[in-house]
Amino acid sequence: MKKFTHFYSLTPEWQYQLAKEMGGELIDNKIIVLPENLGEGHSFFTQITPGISALFMDFVLTTPIKMNRLKSDNELYIFHFDLSDHPSIIKIDNIDYKIGSSINLGLAVISNAIESSFKPAINERTIALRLLVDKKLLNEFIKNHPTEEYAKRKIKIDKNVPYYYDNIDSNSLLLIQSLKSKSVFDASFDPYLKGISLKLLGNFLNRYTDSVAVKNEITEVETEAINKTKTYLLDHLYNPFPSVPFLSKMAGMSPSKYKMLFKKEFNSTPNNFFVQEKMLLATKLLQSGDYNTLTEIIYELNYSKLSYFCTKYYDLFHRKPSEDFVKKNRVIKKPEVYIKI
Amino acid sequence: MKIIEHSYGADLDWVKPFANKLGGKVKGNFIIVPEDTFKGTRYFLDCGDDIVAYYVDVMNNKDVNLVQKNTKKDFIGIYYNITEGDVKYSSDSFVLNVGRWKYNLLVIDSALDTNYKIKAGSRSHAFCIFMKKTRMAYFAKKNNINFKNLNKITDSSKNTIIRFDRMSDESYHLIEELQRFKPGGPIYDLNIRATVHLLLSNFFKKMSATRIIIQTVNKLDLERIIETQMFLINNIEESFPSIETMALKANMSESKFKNLFKKITGKTPNTFFMENKLMEAKRLLEENQFSVSQISDRLSFTNNSYFASKFKAHFGLSPKTFVNQL
Repeated sequence: MKKFTHFYSLTPEWQYQLAKEMGGELIDNKIIVLPENLGEGHSFFTQITPGISALFMDFVLTTPIKMNRLKSDNELYIFHFDLSDHPSIIKIDNIDYKIGSSINLGLAVISNAIESSFKPAINERTIALRLLVDKKLLNEFIKNHPTEEYAKRKIKIDKNVPYYYDNIDSNSLLLIQSLKSKSVFDASFDPYLKGISLKLLGNFLNRYTDSVAVKNEITEVETEAINKTKTYLLDHLYNPFPSVPFLSKMAGMSPSKYKMLFKKEFNSTPNNFFVQEKMLLATKLLQSGDYNTLTEIIYELNYSKLSYFCTKYYDLFHRKPSEDFVKKNRVIKKPEVYIKI
Repeated sequence: MKIIEHSYGADLDWVKPFANKLGGKVKGNFIIVPEDTFKGTRYFLDCGDDIVAYYVDVMNNKDVNLVQKNTKKDFIGIYYNITEGDVKYSSDSFVLNVGRWKYNLLVIDSALDTNYKIKAGSRSHAFCIFMKKTRMAYFAKKNNINFKNLNKITDSSKNTIIRFDRMSDESYHLIEELQRFKPGGPIYDLNIRATVHLLLSNFFKKMSATRIIIQTVNKLDLERIIETQMFLINNIEESFPSIETMALKANMSESKFKNLFKKITGKTPNTFFMENKLMEAKRLLEENQFSVSQISDRLSFTNNSYFASKFKAHFGLSPKTFVNQL
């Protein structure tokens, strides 16, 4: 196994040493072409803005190599996006970490203050994009978000965490995929890579800083369906409860899913919701003064036992129905105030 | 009609006077204008390297004529205009309908005064890049692009550059994607910068490619092809209407239609249709409102597996993995 040591900086200077050591050719301060005895391929380095640089690697190795990255003075974070067909190995503090999109862990964030080594797989195409970002710059990005939210976030980059890794989100994956089909020797590659890199960084920050990114689990269609059943329930308060299977069929989903979503939307089961609404209607009827007895009302609401109704009523309002009951007055004391049309 | 005279530039000196003339003010990177004239976003950003990006997405509530008279003549404006509906863009030497389905990519020298006529009730949607001529020359040289008479172009006393073209599909989707982000904040700025780089990459690539420029195609033919393009986009959920019907629509023979379509869009009708379909599928997947099979049905794919294989072939990962890793 051949070993190379190198370091990173935001400026292209670091490439001289590495190119010389590997015996590769350095073109235009940007492209290092891999010497034939190691394999085939190249790397592409470009400075995007002050504080952000990108290194794109695309090669197939024939000889195993190990790239030791020395720590350097500049304060950097290295974002390693790996899209290789086969997992590669990153070694930090003598622990091997596998990386590659094939094993669903394509993104690593490493601090430049810690040494690490990179062992790409042999005879497989290795595609990786490394973003070098100034720590100060990144912290500024993060600082602009409310601290409380920041604390809740999945990722906290601090000095004690040497390494963080995760899968690459789909959109970023597509962006890196699109690099695959471009040639680094093409003139438009440079701005393209710059654009892609900035987008990746944007995606990354978005993902870990934006609380909106939390998935809305209920889709609009489902909410609509649930609301439809709710309206149905409200329209049929005088009837008995129509049963969950019936309602779920109406919403076009399985009973268990329906119950789950209903609970999420209204914080109550369909039946409880129905009974509650029924009781609210009952108070209205009780106070309306249109009925002679309670039994009349409970028949109206499709209850057959007065005692059952009373218990339910008490559960909700902590009052007996009889306390709210206004009996029908047969003698009309006041003349009717409304005008008949 | 209200006439507003203003200038743009590759630095930010133009922003304040422009905001004042619109009756608004500058707040952060936004130009805030009272809603009775325009409603929406105007966002500008200095991208460094003598490049300024300016993004507009507004509803126009009044008839306005924007007259561009630049105080600085040292830059070139690249205007990506994806306004749906008609907007008239004119100067002494040309009158042009601009918009998504007309000419939507304009490259205009700052030395030229232009009129931009906006009707009330229309929506302006554009992304502009202002770039110093010296920087343009540098880019062109670096990218091995031979502009004809590059020196003439970059020397404002000698010549002015005007170019009307249609942007590539990729560019369109790039700008469309910007819409989905909430404007403002450092992450948005990152995205704007990214878009500028990607658009420029696309632009220079197009410039360097030796393919027949649209101006050489018969105007009527061009219109017809664009019409069919529009037809395809409007019917993106249907299945592919045969070449035969489209050729008939465009009033051309099938072979002529196919050739011209490829010349103008760089793709065959079917690829063009499929790629846009897949972009639509991607957008729907991102919204997370429908399942993969629902989307496949909605976009008239014969079956799920065909959809999945097409999706995978284009984007490099299957719809399911795409959704899972969102």
